[in-house]
Amino acid sequence: MKTLAKKDINKILSIWSQKHDVLAPTKMDNGDCIFSAFDEKAFTLDYKKPPLSPKSVFFPQSEIIFRVEKNRYNEVVAAKKALIFGLRSCDMMGIRQASSFMSRDNKDIYYQARQNAAATVVMACPKAQNETCFCTTTLSGPVAKKGFDLQLYDIGDTLLVEIGSPRGEELLTGMPLAEMEESQAKQKIDEFLQNAILTIPEVKSVIDAMNKLKDRKIAEKVWDDFGAKCITCGGCAFVCPTCTCFNVYDHQQAAGEGIRLRAWDACLYSGFTREASGHNPRASQASRLKRRHEHKLLDYNNTDIQDGLCGCVGCGRCSDYCPVHIGTLEVVKAITG
Amino acid sequence: MFGSGAMTNSINEFDAADLFLVTGSNTTEQHPLIGTRIINAKQRGAQLLIIDPREIPLAKFADLHLRQNIGTDVAVLNGMMNVIIEENLYDKEFVTTRTENFEQLKEVVSKYPPKAVEKISGIAAADLKKAARMYAKADKAMIAYAMGITQHTTGVDNVKSCANLAMLTGHLGRAAVGVNPLRGQNNVQGACDMGGLPNVYSAYQPVIDANVKKKFEEAWKVEGLDDKPGLTITDMMNAAQQGELKALYIMGENPLMSDPDTAHIEHALSNLDFLVVQDIFLSETAKKADVVFPAASFAEKDGTYTNTERKVQLACKAVNPPGQARPDWQIICEISKLAGYPMNYESPADVLKEINALSPSYGGITLERLSKGFGLQWPCPNIEHPGTAFLHKDKFSKGLGTFMPCEFKPPAEMPDDEYDFMLTTGRIYYQFHTGTMTRRVSILEREAPEALLEINPEDAKKLGIRNKDKVEVSSRRGSLQMKAEVTERVPPRVVFSTFHFSEACINVLTNSAFDPVAKIPEYKGCAVKVRRCA
Amino acid sequence: MKRTRSVCPFCGCGCSFYILSENDRVVGIEPSPENPVNKGMLCVKGWNAHEFIHSPERLVTPLIRKQGELVAASWDEALKLVANKLMDTHKKYGPRALGFLSSAKVSNEENYLMMKLARAVFKTNNVDHCARL
Repeated sequence: MKTLAKKDINKILSIWSQKHDVLAPTKMDNGDCIFSAFDEKAFTLDYKKPPLSPKSVFFPQSEIIFRVEKNRYNEVVAAKKALIFGLRSCDMMGIRQASSFMSRDNKDIYYQARQNAAATVVMACPKAQNETCFCTTTLSGPVAKKGFDLQLYDIGDTLLVEIGSPRGEELLTGMPLAEMEESQAKQKIDEFLQNAILTIPEVKSVIDAMNKLKDRKIAEKVWDDFGAKCITCGGCAFVCPTCTCFNVYDHQQAAGEGIRLRAWDACLYSGFTREASGHNPRASQASRLKRRHEHKLLDYNNTDIQDGLCGCVGCGRCSDYCPVHIGTLEVVKAITG
Repeated sequence: MFGSGAMTNSINEFDAADLFLVTGSNTTEQHPLIGTRIINAKQRGAQLLIIDPREIPLAKFADLHLRQNIGTDVAVLNGMMNVIIEENLYDKEFVTTRTENFEQLKEVVSKYPPKAVEKISGIAAADLKKAARMYAKADKAMIAYAMGITQHTTGVDNVKSCANLAMLTGHLGRAAVGVNPLRGQNNVQGACDMGGLPNVYSAYQPVIDANVKKKFEEAWKVEGLDDKPGLTITDMMNAAQQGELKALYIMGENPLMSDPDTAHIEHALSNLDFLVVQDIFLSETAKKADVVFPAASFAEKDGTYTNTERKVQLACKAVNPPGQARPDWQIICEISKLAGYPMNYESPADVLKEINALSPSYGGITLERLSKGFGLQWPCPNIEHPGTAFLHKDKFSKGLGTFMPCEFKPPAEMPDDEYDFMLTTGRIYYQFHTGTMTRRVSILEREAPEALLEINPEDAKKLGIRNKDKVEVSSRRGSLQMKAEVTERVPPRVVFSTFHFSEACINVLTNSAFDPVAKIPEYKGCAVKVRRCA
Repeated sequence: MKRTRSVCPFCGCGCSFYILSENDRVVGIEPSPENPVNKGMLCVKGWNAHEFIHSPERLVTPLIRKQGELVAASWDEALKLVANKLMDTHKKYGPRALGFLSSAKVSNEENYLMMKLARAVFKTNNVDHCARL
């Protein structure tokens, strides 16, 4: 198996930066650690999941999709060659789910162009990043099974390199690679996996909750209580790696000139389902929360991603970033009592 | 009372308080990330006491919600103090060692027994007693208030009464214990701190103080700084109407929508010889200007902003301003230069250095420190100082805290036979202030696209108004049409609407009567009549 | 995609976020995960604070009222006009005839400069902002 020396990683990222917009874990001056444009001085391998998942690379919160000029419209398919370094396996599963959705019926050319232009380098997860990680339950971690171009295992001074695609192979061209004997590498990976799994115990109640949802055995009070405290920020949808809803907006720039842009939308907002008549089939916040969680844990169970569990990738962001604790884990807890 | 106008505590301390008295603050809608801390606190077992005429979303979580008649806050707070003294629940040690004027307070609040307060406020005597006991007995009690307390002709009295209540019970000067006015705009605290006020320079240094005057004259290398307080915005509008104020330079404000009694403001502005407006959009006010300067938005410039907990934070330039728009600081420097006083700043960082040098509480809030962390809370007098999480720890900034008892006074305009409803105003969650920014955000506009008049079902029935019917609401100053929202959020005889929508800006109706000291207008109460449009 | 630290432009909570931008256009918002005020969270206004920045209704040039209409003008003309008008008014009616409204929406530095302009240059304390409103 190929390996890289950990001390070379900065150099390698610099080389990749020459031809890609590299997004990598970055320690900001203020102490925040987020994914930002690779900067040698601020790059770090000591990082946690940032609020935004990598979907924001393929599917920016707001993007111009076409311009109208003098009665013509021109599609804006903006895709720069990009490389996402250091994403975790949960986010890799998120990309696979979002990509599957975005190519299933109508192919989303904007998304696909950006996705095709972006290489993914997964860092296998050595341990739970915090107490809301449950990828071992959703079958999306701690290591990615597929979808990546490269996956790296940090085993100390050495990074084991798993190649997932021809593009991954190509990324390694000219890099200071070494070799580790296959059986030794396999043993190292098994150890890595065992250690990681120990810190991310399976949350059985997630499965129980899915079954209860299937049997429609949830008391409405569960949703009413959550609905009462939800402040409708939309954050859970925005941070979710598998949420892909958007709305489109037209802005006239001048006479005969305009843009159409699309921007993230969220099913938690009442206007998302409100009809022109004023009628809203999901009239209460409780009903909107119910739908969201049914979508993640029930409706999305039989996806094209056969090796995943459901529409949730177990990253825990909705629990991390909900101001009033209505994340998947809290909902599961309420459902299963 | 005890110090300058600011939150005594930090936002994080909300996580440790065990009782919240929320009054005149629709916290979850107006300060959502503070409101959610109260919801979370409630779920971990803290108590929540709300005094608000409206059934705000937070009321669902309240242990006790007192819905007082509009403008009766002083009576309610005095009533609580009456019970606390009567039942010996006050903090004797705190009162003895850290306050003065207790006897006077005692005398005034003795006139407000619960039965008398019930007549004024409509709050049942038993509930008032319960509230008083809850607040007094709590270990870590925190008051949070906002414009529902201040926007009255008795705004200052309301604030003083909150402070009296906190001092009486010793609920001050500790972590998670204090009095917290929640500021409504991202830099309203900073605008005050920087001396955007008629009576003080930056860091609240009084213009009437000869030493302060001398300090600024030397630093700025000028002579003859004005040593008398200037006019407040309220006074400026009156002076303009009377022809005494001739020219007005407005940066990033929209008084034509945000100020009370629109007709009065419109007349005042049109009476000026010259009006300059500097803004990012052609606001309603900018449309009246003689010259409009295009300014950069927050994303297009560097600068610092001070939040409601006195924390100064850094924001940096992300993109260039559109077209020829320029950052406000550059525009001001240009004007100054042309007026014969060159301001030689290369960047906002240079200005911050001057602020550090001349403003004691900002002395240690340097760019270098701000960029390396998440901000610093004033007072922060020097670069070694860590900043101040909560105020008045061992003593008040003015020494002893002075009880300043107030008598109840009704709002300036009460409903009568003709104008038989009380109108109260505010903001809603999805829009912000005069809507110049939020109405240009598609999602927000979709969620709340139009002005609504909240009216109680009982009143709606009497007037034959159904939900979403168009109604006309009129005061002595003007008249508006909008749709009705029939809801128990407002009590009977009270209607509510907002100033977000230029199509039906509620300030056409509001009363410009203001508090004699703070000059804050009475947005929270005026008399109107309502009828269903044919 | 560039990330620039910023502070939410709406209420006084002071939630901190990063502005995501691409080709000089703001494309999104990412809340600061560690800032003690918001810890990676935002409200609906904060999450959607990206759109108005590029509104086609933004002012992009100075405007001067000519024959009753506001028309586009150069910076040079607009700045000179304002400076001269303010100086004339000051000369003719004294400092108290001038008023300056600072802003709860602009930075500390800009508020400081506005009050300095009023006080040091035009010698008036007629400076206020909308704290009361």
